[in-house]
Amino acid sequence: MRTPYVWLTLLVAVIAVPSGFYYVNWSKSGEGAGLYSRDWVPEAIFAYWNPDDFYKSVESVKGEFSGEQCVECHAAVSPGIVNDWRKSGHSKPANNQAVVYCSDCHGNNHEDLHLPTPDVCGACHGVQHDQFVDEKRYGFPGHSLAMERAMDAKHFADKPKAEVSACLQCHSVASKCDSCHTRHVFSAAEARRPEACITCHSGPPHPDDETYFHSKHGQLYLTEGENWDWSKPLSKGNYPAPTCAYCHMDNGKQQVADKAIWKFGLKQVNPLTSGNQVRREQWVKLCGDCHEKDWSAGQLRQLDVERKQSWAKLYEAESVLKSLRSDELIQPSAKQRPPYPMDSPDTFLQYQHIGFFEGQASAFYNVSPIERDYFEMWYFDNLKSYKGAAHGDASFVEQGQAEMDASLDSIKQTAERLRSAGEQKLDKDAQGNIWLEGEYTEYNREHN
Amino acid sequence: MINRVLFFCFIVMAFSGHAVSTDNLVLGIFNNEQCLQCHEKTDGDLIGGWRNSAHASSEPVIDCVACHGTEHESVAARARQDQACIECHRGAKGPVVHSYSTSKHGVLMKIQVGQQGWSKPLSMANYRVPGCAYCHMHAGEHDVSISVRHDIMLKSESVQDKMRAVCQDCHSSRYISRLLENGEAMLEIARKKVREADNLIKQAEAKFSEQQLAPVKQQRLKMQQHLLNVALGAGHQSPDYQWWHGQPALDGDLLRIKGFISELPTIE
Repeated sequence: MRTPYVWLTLLVAVIAVPSGFYYVNWSKSGEGAGLYSRDWVPEAIFAYWNPDDFYKSVESVKGEFSGEQCVECHAAVSPGIVNDWRKSGHSKPANNQAVVYCSDCHGNNHEDLHLPTPDVCGACHGVQHDQFVDEKRYGFPGHSLAMERAMDAKHFADKPKAEVSACLQCHSVASKCDSCHTRHVFSAAEARRPEACITCHSGPPHPDDETYFHSKHGQLYLTEGENWDWSKPLSKGNYPAPTCAYCHMDNGKQQVADKAIWKFGLKQVNPLTSGNQVRREQWVKLCGDCHEKDWSAGQLRQLDVERKQSWAKLYEAESVLKSLRSDELIQPSAKQRPPYPMDSPDTFLQYQHIGFFEGQASAFYNVSPIERDYFEMWYFDNLKSYKGAAHGDASFVEQGQAEMDASLDSIKQTAERLRSAGEQKLDKDAQGNIWLEGEYTEYNREHN
Repeated sequence: MINRVLFFCFIVMAFSGHAVSTDNLVLGIFNNEQCLQCHEKTDGDLIGGWRNSAHASSEPVIDCVACHGTEHESVAARARQDQACIECHRGAKGPVVHSYSTSKHGVLMKIQVGQQGWSKPLSMANYRVPGCAYCHMHAGEHDVSISVRHDIMLKSESVQDKMRAVCQDCHSSRYISRLLENGEAMLEIARKKVREADNLIKQAEAKFSEQQLAPVKQQRLKMQQHLLNVALGAGHQSPDYQWWHGQPALDGDLLRIKGFISELPTIE
């Protein structure tokens, strides 16, 4: 009696598993890269942000050259990079090691030059490279998964590529080491300074720069940092106050995300899982370089409280939006707006995506104002408070919470207005197709 | 008195063919008229460049001493530093400065500011990191509007060539071309968002009163800043200004303008 079911299950498995593999491979085989590679074509500039996938050498100069020859020519052609190299450890290696010339990383053949990826650096800097790759097991957000997560974001695949090239500049931290150790000096001392991080770690969703510089730690750095010895490793006793890297890359390890508990504040997490208890102990141990154990543990509990408070507000706003959605009061409706980015099932079952778990991170454009209000409350106000709490900047916690209160109030008022307008049965289509037409909106539909 | 004596020496040196634009040869304190009197003769191109620039026609005029100060000993070194520009260009927290200070150039400038020296000309990669003047007044070009421009990028070949000449001190010509193309494309996308809004507003103006459209106009004003942010982000290479202060901010403006208009009661 059971036999047919066993055979049927086996048959389904035999068909489903290979076709699953085939589908994923097929979807990654387009001109772009990642899960939606068949849906987009890279811009030429992508070669520099993601060299592994997109860099191709050009035949500007023919021939093979030695390291000395590169230096000789480029001192005239592009003196800045040669000046940099002369300052670097590569040109003046310690312990009688060989000089690292241009050609050691870029190749000798000028018609087939390559842009160094972490693997190229890893050939010598093996420990750091292995740690960097190892970071993947801690998941995203993190440095080593940054590029694939950017390219797999639905809004990245959907929006014009010249526009989202802005994303890749920061997410290129996964593809090249010079995001932090800038070329061609590649200085560890430079990467230890907090400024090394702020080109990417700034702005509304991650005001790491502002919150750190406002904190006591940051104030100490701003006052005295010029005089600290940045050649020292990031370990106990070497620095009077911690910097970004001192805490997130303690002892110089490259796994930036290894102690992440609250994961950038983008979704609610349980901070008390066994895994998070281990991370908490790691934090307390690290803070122990300067602070008492109980004090540090107390600070972390404060952050738990801040997160809980923020999520209560965010969920309240989400429920307001979801109830509007179920009463069909969100205008434009899902059918009156451009389809949700890259979601083919959406063409059959269209709905407004609200909150992290429905993928609202990709729905900040072509949506109704009330959804955008919630997006800003979640992405900007919430994260302002979170970063303030995490970095010890009370003013940002206060501001972030106040902004969340104001956003929640305004979302509720807008919801009231939409409800009364809905009851008056205003003609929803009176304004024509303004949500589906227009120069950018149409261009976006044609160019993704 | 001592000033006059020094000024006399200065004039003598100027006419005797000394390179007065080099610092330290001339000591003393000078006012703007005195600067122009000498340098018009010794550095005609430089003064000519300045006269063509917005600095010369602004109110008040941004004259020699505004950037160089009055002490001849340190005039060039002083004006080469970002501080000379920052005072006017919207303060340390304004978008013009903030988009630069969060860029890789800006953060390296911050870290290495004491090591720059400032005694060398602004060319040939004499500085590891370019400050405001290295790009916008490259090789001492005093017409700030022609050296490097964020707003026109690829629109003009002469501007493009000038930018290329500046960036080439450190970057490959292919990289520069790709960045210029990308910057222009990015800016054009931002302009599309603004034009979409303008077109909607134009249509709405025929149907609704000025008072009804007041919140729409308010939102449109924000677009102007967000558009500028994209230009500053592309020009200064600040991803944060290209993106969070730029493109998604414009998306928000556009959909809110649509929201305002679609909620207005239609007048029959």
